[in-house]
Amino acid sequence: MDAQATGDPGGGQPWGPHNTVTVVDPSPVNWLSITWNTMEEANRVDHDGIGQPSLAESWTWLDRETLELKMRGAVYQDGEPFNAAMFKLGFDKVQEWTNPHPPGAFLNFARDVTCEAVDERTIRMRFPGGDSAALMKLRGMHLPSTRFWNEWGFIDPKTGSAEGHW
Amino acid sequence: MLTEGVSLIDSRSDRVVMEPNATYWNPARKPTVRIVYDNVIGKDAGIKSVASGDGRVDVVFDLTPAEAKAFPQSDKGKIQTKKAKTILTGVFNENKPDSVWRDPAVRRAFNLAIDRQFVLDQGAHGYGTVIPAFIQPGRYGADPGMSPLPHDPEAARAGLEKAGLGGREIVIVASPSWQGVVEAIGQCLSKIGLSARFVSDRGDLPEDFDLKLEWYFDWTPQYPVACVHREFFGRDATLRQGPEDPEFDALYEKLLHTPEERTEEVVREVERYIQDRSKALFLYSPFTLFAVSDRVAFTPYDTCMSELAETRIKG
Repeated sequence: MDAQATGDPGGGQPWGPHNTVTVVDPSPVNWLSITWNTMEEANRVDHDGIGQPSLAESWTWLDRETLELKMRGAVYQDGEPFNAAMFKLGFDKVQEWTNPHPPGAFLNFARDVTCEAVDERTIRMRFPGGDSAALMKLRGMHLPSTRFWNEWGFIDPKTGSAEGHW
Repeated sequence: MLTEGVSLIDSRSDRVVMEPNATYWNPARKPTVRIVYDNVIGKDAGIKSVASGDGRVDVVFDLTPAEAKAFPQSDKGKIQTKKAKTILTGVFNENKPDSVWRDPAVRRAFNLAIDRQFVLDQGAHGYGTVIPAFIQPGRYGADPGMSPLPHDPEAARAGLEKAGLGGREIVIVASPSWQGVVEAIGQCLSKIGLSARFVSDRGDLPEDFDLKLEWYFDWTPQYPVACVHREFFGRDATLRQGPEDPEFDALYEKLLHTPEERTEEVVREVERYIQDRSKALFLYSPFTLFAVSDRVAFTPYDTCMSELAETRIKG
């Protein structure tokens, strides 16, 4: 992936040993570390292993089936604003596939889960029957920019599919 | 943001480069350095580079206990440890319908044969914490009333002899990283007349093994049962070596449909269930181990992910 492909605006500081950290990571899940270093989700897990808000600044269960999230104002590196519509786009994209997550189907949202962008900052998700794993699943629902979706979208170029490739 | 290379499940570029996003919203996690993943140099050379301070490598992830122990005295780098959300556990081979390991009493007897602190100290140079089941004390879902199963060689001998395992060689499949752990288990077994044979895990399991050691980690925001317990015992588990367990599956379903504010009690119920049934050989929670250059302030993650937003160059 070249710099332009990521939306890198360029023109940054010169890089050299003084501001470069070189790492060796033999972990078989290095691909996931890279994803979580370069993408963002509604929530994340901090270095002490505790869940934290991320692109969602807060959330509330309105009842046992309805989760409301408040999105923060943020901007992608290519200048596109992040908002509730971008969350909804990410949800719609992941729901297009049967089993998109490499770790397994336990990360899937049920087919009857719905997601509505109520306004610029508010998302309302409905989980018929309830789902206490919802926030765990949101940790695996990446929220990239429109440009990412248009140019890559987690599609494996070898298969043309995003199954098991999220 | 990613500016060079890719890291996929089945392949990696020689280099993967990430540069800070100048417009990132969170000042506490705004990176200050460029990160280069060197996928060519290799782990051994990386560790040597950190120790020598030659500047080629700053951080090496996922050292084995033996690699950490062997790290030389150096004023250029050090070993950094993290009490991450990990487990090292033994999966009993219950694949055959007549497997003795399908009997919870036999699994419990085997657990009683093991001095976990000895295994940790002897087999992994003490890099870890003995835990009751799959969750570390103090973590979300840990049951404060649970303790590790005791070391009771006489009860173990009686239980294993009753099952016809007296004098048996126990075949344990494991990554070479855990050979020392298998040998320490063997020392425990020798005290009751059994022995252990290490078989290196090459992906294709021998037909007649007794246990498979598995290292696993929890990356979730306080939802360990889906990530870890389910992976060992659930209907869709990839690490299960035996039949499905409807009781476990029912507990998991109960968890999924429990309102979030009450899930922790169900997680504790799962922990008690797997210990009560001795669903695995419970060992310990391994520390994650890193070789880190002294020029870097490195913030490791309990999730075992190499997230590097907070990592800085000192000074």
